[in-house]
Amino acid sequence: MKRTNKGVILSGLLITGVWLSGQTAPRAAAAEESPGFDLSGYWTPAMHEDALERGGGSELGDYAGFALNEAGRLWALSYDASRVTLKHHQCDAYVAPYQMRATGNFRMWEERDPHDQRVVAIHVWAQTTEGHRVIWMDGRPHPPAWAPHTFRGFSTGRFVGDALVVETSHMKQGWLRRNGTPESDQATLLEYFVRHGDHLTNTTIVTDPVFLTEPEVRSNDYFRQVVDHHGWLYACDDGEQILDRAPDKVPNYLFGEQPFAQEFARVYKLPLISGVGGAESMYPEFIAKLKSATDEDGLARMTPVPGRPSETSRAVDPEPHDGEIHVLPIRNNVYMLVGDGGNIVVQVGDQGPFVVDTGTGALAGKTIAAIKKLSDRPVQFIANTSFRADHTGGNVKVRASGLDPSLPGSFFSNQFADAGQGATIMAHQNTQNHMDELKMPAEGAPSDTFLEDRRRKFHNGDSIELFWEPNAVTDGDSIVHFRSADVIVTGDIFTTTEYPFIDVKNGGSVQGEIKALNDILNRTVYEHEEDGGTLVVPGHGYLSNEHEVVEYRDMVVIIRDRVRNMINKGATLEQVKAARLTADYDTRYGKSTGPWTTDMFVEAVYRGLK
Amino acid sequence: MGMCPYPSQKVRCIISKAQRAALILCFASGMVAHAQGRGGGPPAPPPGPPPTAKTAAPIDITGYWVSLVTEDWRYRMATPPKGDVSGVPLNPAGREAANAWDPAKDETAGEQCRAYGVGGVMRMPGRLHITWQDDDTLKIETDAGSQTRILNFKPSGKQGGDWQGVSMANWERQASVMGNGRGGPPPGGSLKAVTTKMKPGYLRKNGVPYSADAVVTEYFERFDEPNGESLLLIITEVDDPAYLATPFWTSTHFKKENDAAGWNPAPCSAQ
Repeated sequence: MKRTNKGVILSGLLITGVWLSGQTAPRAAAAEESPGFDLSGYWTPAMHEDALERGGGSELGDYAGFALNEAGRLWALSYDASRVTLKHHQCDAYVAPYQMRATGNFRMWEERDPHDQRVVAIHVWAQTTEGHRVIWMDGRPHPPAWAPHTFRGFSTGRFVGDALVVETSHMKQGWLRRNGTPESDQATLLEYFVRHGDHLTNTTIVTDPVFLTEPEVRSNDYFRQVVDHHGWLYACDDGEQILDRAPDKVPNYLFGEQPFAQEFARVYKLPLISGVGGAESMYPEFIAKLKSATDEDGLARMTPVPGRPSETSRAVDPEPHDGEIHVLPIRNNVYMLVGDGGNIVVQVGDQGPFVVDTGTGALAGKTIAAIKKLSDRPVQFIANTSFRADHTGGNVKVRASGLDPSLPGSFFSNQFADAGQGATIMAHQNTQNHMDELKMPAEGAPSDTFLEDRRRKFHNGDSIELFWEPNAVTDGDSIVHFRSADVIVTGDIFTTTEYPFIDVKNGGSVQGEIKALNDILNRTVYEHEEDGGTLVVPGHGYLSNEHEVVEYRDMVVIIRDRVRNMINKGATLEQVKAARLTADYDTRYGKSTGPWTTDMFVEAVYRGLK
Repeated sequence: MGMCPYPSQKVRCIISKAQRAALILCFASGMVAHAQGRGGGPPAPPPGPPPTAKTAAPIDITGYWVSLVTEDWRYRMATPPKGDVSGVPLNPAGREAANAWDPAKDETAGEQCRAYGVGGVMRMPGRLHITWQDDDTLKIETDAGSQTRILNFKPSGKQGGDWQGVSMANWERQASVMGNGRGGPPPGGSLKAVTTKMKPGYLRKNGVPYSADAVVTEYFERFDEPNGESLLLIITEVDDPAYLATPFWTSTHFKKENDAAGWNPAPCSAQ
């Protein structure tokens, strides 16, 4: 199958660079920086270290030398390699530090400004996964926290001393090791490239507040080659690998039931603690521990520590909290507005803005001002994904900004008193019902509702569809798909900030949530190796694509499986809560205070299954 | 023409043929001048005695460093089984020697330090204590195996024949044959050490061999991280025509420690 590189390069630039930062790069260089050296050429990795891991594959249950915290260790132990048979994981690319360690050759080249010959970027192309990294050398800043993540992330570099120093952020969730050793989407990467003749060494330092207790330092060596290796393409398209699998099936192991957890230790006649020692295992003192450790010491690290309080999220808060509305172009004529609680989406064109959700309303004036900068037309439509106040709080004011004095002269002004008096608010009927129950202002309530699965609208040159997702977060949630722009707005069915807010009292359920997430995935397409393609706006958090949705779906399914397993064994709600069934996800999504805590989520799952 | 102009586009546009000729001469003379001294670029040194290795050091690698065993973990933190030589490009003679490993025999022969020689000791989990023995000699002590390596910036006259052999060292800086352009040589650099004349030893504890004819070339790099921590990276190339089909490359990292609190000297162990 022939693959075109052009699109890949373009998407890499689009997603990781030009489009995200959108800022003129400063030219000043720090005083300590050096003139730099040439990294261009063909490079072949020397796989003398960790040869088995990097070649045939790592041992199952071997997490030795990784400073995994409890969450990271349990995440790895829950991982079933069959997960890559799922359609949305088959073409997962490699995150930057794993990519640099991958088998296969590399090509590096400089991109220089044609006018002043300064180095704008250094490009790295890896054979495996067509891994294209762009290291920006022109001093541009990293994107904001609400910008999308990619597998290779956003990298900036500078020459310091005899090294190229590279800092990378905005990576997707991926592997540190192929056996499921995780790297979260909150990880950052610091690298040092040094060259001695035809030998290049790349030292990677991964800092991951979600899964690691200490930075993970590793290094990769490469030999320079004179001849083009060719074979630079790496075609991947997903397909059906296991037929008739239920859509809510995600291969995983329950805590303590990973059948290969002891394999590494048993095969090599090592104590069980060898593979699960965490940060201790990196240091010389661990040799003494290996001599004294018992099987119980190892087994104790293969399940959640009982009685321990739940961890809370260590993720960066992606919302700015600066009292301003920030506009992020998504694609074509569609924009994401960040800053007033739930994310707001605006589509603009000749027919006037189409807005999805309106935030809390605290910054409604600034939201309207931001919309006016995008379009001088009155807002025509508002679609609400849910009745929740952080998505509908600005309805009244944003609707009023749709006042169009030219419309009262229309035929409909004789039929409807409010024709032209503001934007039309669309939502599922159940959303309107909930807003009525809560006595929310009538001017902000949906006036154009639908009852069944789909509402559609052709507006500003795009086909816009609202799909009802019954019994997900509530019984009235909708996702909104801009088909031409290929942007899906999910409301709180999907967020990057917390466990799904399953509002059981208002009709939400874990099974409906899983179905809704799968419905989103049934409409997405990736562009290249799970990067790009259909862009997904979460209810809260950073602009995503299907990879974030599938990791989120996996998480909900896996926790559902654990809760269901305990229910089947007769466990009470208190016993389920005490079992810490979310221990591997709490450092990413957990909360102990506020409107939606980990306990509330577990209880919602339990009640949805009971 | 008193100086070589920076060849920016604007300058190129206005220089005359005569100036171009002068430029060529200027570059050519620069190349000759560079060929006479390693590193190129720096202006003539001030009068007085040449700097010592210590004063000329572009980086400081002295202090206590603890190894971070994040790679080849199973081969370093435990003694792997006989014949497990994964990743090492042994030739048939090397494989045969590895398969003949007998730690008890090494102990009996008083050769329990075979894995602590220059080809293997830096891969041992442990701590390094690096100091200046004098102005032109660096000393690296290891607590694993209680070994001492001497890196000589000037010929020492030593004959070698022990586990650590004879190491010659020099500072390396990125440099161009055309000089370093504006601003002189870049800051920073690395330490290069080449070791020969050592006793045969093991690359790994399970008897993966290197011979007395091996040449061990190392580059020591120091990275100061934004979080205040410092890393020492030792890139090692072992060339051994007796046992290796191709050079064996490793890169080993250490984290800087503030003091000797973790220093824990231990004797060699063959097991």
